[in-house]
Amino acid sequence: MRVGFVGMGVMGLPMARHLLAAGHDLAVWARRPASADAIVAEGAHLCVTPAELAARSEVVISVVTASRDVEELALGPDGLIEGLASGAVHVDMSTIAPATARMLATRYAERGIGWLDAPVSGGEAGAREATLAIMVGGAEETLAQVRPLLACLGRTVVHIGPAGAGQVAKACNQMIMVNVIQACAEAMRLAGAHGVELHRVREALMGGSAASRVLDVMGGRMARRDFAAGIQSRLHHKDFAILLEEARQLGVPLPVAAQTWQQLNALMALGGSLDDTASLLRVLEAQGL
Amino acid sequence: MKVGFIGLGIMGRPMALNLLKGGSDLTVWARRPESMTPLLEAGARGAGSAAEVAAACDVVFSMVADAADVEQVALGAAGVVEGARTGLIFVDMSTIAPAAAQDIAARLADKGVTMLDAPVSGGEVGAISGALTIMVGGDEAAFARVQPLLACMGKTATLIGGPGAGQVAKACNQILTGIGVMAVAEAFNFARKSGVDAAKVREALLGGFAYSRILENHGQRMLDRNFKPGFKAWMHQKDMNIVMQEAHRLGLMLPGSAATAQLFNAMVGSGMGEEDSVAALKLLENMSGA
Repeated sequence: MRVGFVGMGVMGLPMARHLLAAGHDLAVWARRPASADAIVAEGAHLCVTPAELAARSEVVISVVTASRDVEELALGPDGLIEGLASGAVHVDMSTIAPATARMLATRYAERGIGWLDAPVSGGEAGAREATLAIMVGGAEETLAQVRPLLACLGRTVVHIGPAGAGQVAKACNQMIMVNVIQACAEAMRLAGAHGVELHRVREALMGGSAASRVLDVMGGRMARRDFAAGIQSRLHHKDFAILLEEARQLGVPLPVAAQTWQQLNALMALGGSLDDTASLLRVLEAQGL
Repeated sequence: MKVGFIGLGIMGRPMALNLLKGGSDLTVWARRPESMTPLLEAGARGAGSAAEVAAACDVVFSMVADAADVEQVALGAAGVVEGARTGLIFVDMSTIAPAAAQDIAARLADKGVTMLDAPVSGGEVGAISGALTIMVGGDEAAFARVQPLLACMGKTATLIGGPGAGQVAKACNQILTGIGVMAVAEAFNFARKSGVDAAKVREALLGGFAYSRILENHGQRMLDRNFKPGFKAWMHQKDMNIVMQEAHRLGLMLPGSAATAQLFNAMVGSGMGEEDSVAALKLLENMSGA
């Protein structure tokens, strides 16, 4: 399939490589062309504008940072919408606001262009090993069209519902994950205050009812005091602002998430924005960073 | 001094009427023409736009819903800036984010207009009786010039600091009143569920360190099951949202405010948005069972 790819970050690059490896005809566009050097050297074609990329692609996949970036990519000057043919599809795998996903789906639909929001969970390791969990919002037949591509990138591909529904699932994912990171940080803080070895607590709990992926990975980082990102905490801070703004608009109380948001605020103030979210432990220790 | 007033809703109308009573030469404008009628009948002049108000006045007050409205009134098409002569003082009494107030003040300053942010506390009752508490941010000389006008609308007007400082004080006010209302509702729900008469609890506590205006007034309304606004829950939700957005921006931990904001979300989501904040008691009762 002729596939376009935008976003050569820690997630995007390994994902693009899987598509090349699967034999797809891959083209890329990058705001900073140098960031595409590696993938171009491996055989991808480099385009000068998103519109040019879109014009040669049946499917364009994007993995960028924020709602604003996706909007600019799709609708900005020389945006994807100017190049995509009727029947082509834009699959956005970034984490953005559900409202932005719905808006873009509508704009594309006016021109017969397909849209899927397909955010992922699994992090850099999941992207590298093609074991991502992919949650999809959009039309079922559009998903059927691109499912073989998504199967190159992830282990599970679940159709959640119409446009925006993938982002709703991702918001739920972020909320559970960071709330549990906070719970692990509190447990580790408590164990530490008792003078108990953190890694033994983690090891014991991993055999019981409190076992979780977060306790395994983030609890491990806390025990080793390895706070190098991982996932930069500023990204979770951003996600929580979106999440709680939507809860406000919907009139839904999220008492625990609201507290976690405050801890993330404190982490930003302490200078931990580029560190892994496991650094929430250090907020509780309040020893500065 | 010629005075203008823009925004004649529940708060703006009585405030403008108090300026008239105080002897101001008043010109008014509101988006909905019918809301101008009571002012025109009382002797104010009507204008066709915010720009027309500005052209006729030395000081213009505004009392609107949110930052987008203030921006529109001040800087939008036919806004204050289009009619203003150099030296005009624009006093915004709406509740908006401090950052938004600073931004609008800076853009007005470029056009020779001095802005004060002057949000109020005291609700509709305070607006009618001219007993508002007014918190002001901005230039000291401009504050001195408008102080006699503020005195027609409020019992106290305090210059807190530079641009945005009035809104910071208002946000602090909303933290205290928001958490305060929730604290009283929680205490009364605790008493009820423990089989104790909340009215007796209130009466006893009014004599002690837990005394507060909120325990006295809001507490009484809770006991009376009087949930008529007052200050609507959705408006308190909106104000708490300003607080939480600023906390996010500044890297501030506000755990009490965060909990309170979620309870306001629950109130609005369960259909209590149009009721007074004191309906928080009902929410807690619903969530705690009989």
